[in-house]
Amino acid sequence: MAIKLEKVVEKFYQGLEEGRILGRKCPKCGAVEFPPVYACNSCGNLETEWFEISGKGKMHSIVMPAPLSSKPEYKALGKFAYGEIELEEGARFNAVVRGITKKKRREILESGRMPVDVKAAIYQRDGYKTVVFDLVEEE
Amino acid sequence: MAVMNQTKLHPYSRSVSIIGVGCTPFMYTVDNEETNGLTEGELFGYAALKAMEDAGVNPKDIDFYFHGEASPLNGSNYLTPNVQIANWFGMKGKGSIHHSEACCTGYYAVEEAVNAVASGKYDCVLSGCVEFGDSLAIPNHPYKREKMTMDKFLQTTAWLYDRNYTRSLMAGQELIYDDAAEWYKRTRGITDQEMDDTLNWMCINNRKNASVNPLAIERKTYEELAKEFGFDDVMDYMRSPYNPKMGDFLRAGGLEIKCDGAAAVIVCATDMVDRFMGNKSHKAIEVLGIGCSACEATTPHFEVNATEEAVRQVYEVTGVKPEEIDLFYANDFIITSHLIAAEIAGYLPYGEGWKYICEGRTAYDGDKPINTNGGRTSFGHAHAASGLADLYEAVHQMRGEAGEGQVKKLPKTTMLRGYGGAQNICTYIIRTAD
Repeated sequence: MAIKLEKVVEKFYQGLEEGRILGRKCPKCGAVEFPPVYACNSCGNLETEWFEISGKGKMHSIVMPAPLSSKPEYKALGKFAYGEIELEEGARFNAVVRGITKKKRREILESGRMPVDVKAAIYQRDGYKTVVFDLVEEE
Repeated sequence: MAVMNQTKLHPYSRSVSIIGVGCTPFMYTVDNEETNGLTEGELFGYAALKAMEDAGVNPKDIDFYFHGEASPLNGSNYLTPNVQIANWFGMKGKGSIHHSEACCTGYYAVEEAVNAVASGKYDCVLSGCVEFGDSLAIPNHPYKREKMTMDKFLQTTAWLYDRNYTRSLMAGQELIYDDAAEWYKRTRGITDQEMDDTLNWMCINNRKNASVNPLAIERKTYEELAKEFGFDDVMDYMRSPYNPKMGDFLRAGGLEIKCDGAAAVIVCATDMVDRFMGNKSHKAIEVLGIGCSACEATTPHFEVNATEEAVRQVYEVTGVKPEEIDLFYANDFIITSHLIAAEIAGYLPYGEGWKYICEGRTAYDGDKPINTNGGRTSFGHAHAASGLADLYEAVHQMRGEAGEGQVKKLPKTTMLRGYGGAQNICTYIIRTAD
């Protein structure tokens, strides 16, 4: 492949419209970039290629929204928290996880269940779709 | 942990020293008749001229100047703010450049100036920053300003975050308030109550420091405030609705006080200090090294990761050990920064920093002083100017010229950790010349 002047951001959001969550994978070291960008931050390779992520991941930290860290439009998310997500493909980033209340956080922390399993979902915002995660409840 | 690239620094081509500093009071200019109407040129000019006077130089001695402002388009209606104000401090015709790293601007102001002299291109450089964090220029009027509304402030702070992904994913920009507290509590194994007490004690200590600093914007101690509101115990006040929870961990007292101000520094080649300073009696302060890192806000624990990298760089290139640091500053517009930066730098021992804070040991009269000017929650936050205001305070402490707020043991070596701009980190070590 060759370095291309390519609309990565637009393709990512178009992918969400089609029900696919796209990242980029380094052909040299195999690291996955999510959200998708041109180069590999792990090995420094100048190119990456499109890769559909599974959506499975783990949540490593939990921060609850509060007056400073929320917006009226976030009400549509229902109960949620912010935190560090690690995809099963390796990428780590900050994201929203639905299904977490203060009580649920306490239960998770006190039971030593961290990191907890999460699953990506496509979420409609005003004018475009984005990616959030849902807590995967134990059976 | 998140992927983090590293940089190996090399020693400067030649040594660079700080010879002069200047700083305005941090203030709400439009609220007072005496200050309402002050302009960018007047604030920056005052700080620059005070730095020149302090250094014993005049504008003809200075080869170039750096200008920092976090939000010149929004706050000042300027695209090239450096060009507009050189005349105010006698530097008409001299070269200059504007830079903007949001709340970290005043720390990168030192990085820029030191590199310019260390390279050999310039012998003596001015670096200054100005910000009207509490007011906006009224378009089409030559000097009048209006109060900055919270709506307008929040609109511009949104510009600090990546438009393509971070704003869309909704987490990075919201984690700025509490991510570091969650990280510290989890990794050190402390309780919610201990975390809350630590955050409150940082506010109390900062305010105690500011109470004896004539340039600070808020000088009434929390003990005095508690009494006014009928509390005998200051911690009862800190845990009360008068200091409400605004974040998951953060209370109102742990947030910056945004305001207006300017500060400046003069640096020169160390082997030219005598030539520039003439008969000035104070010692020059050498900049030993500066570490830099940056993590866009979708990076997990962006402040922690970038601070660790910048601190690693500066210790590696300088050979300085954490136990040699006598005085520490952290840009703490979210007050948690103050705790986590001091521990990452090894200024406070791992997992024990919160105890030092709760015992008052990090106030100016303690054995591990931090933010002796009061930091962002009490000295104030004139965004770009805050970093150089911290340097102004550090230099005065290291000269023994800090007045009532002078720390007990004269500091020889100081670390300053800048943070801001969602998120830049710039950490440097300075040492008084022998």
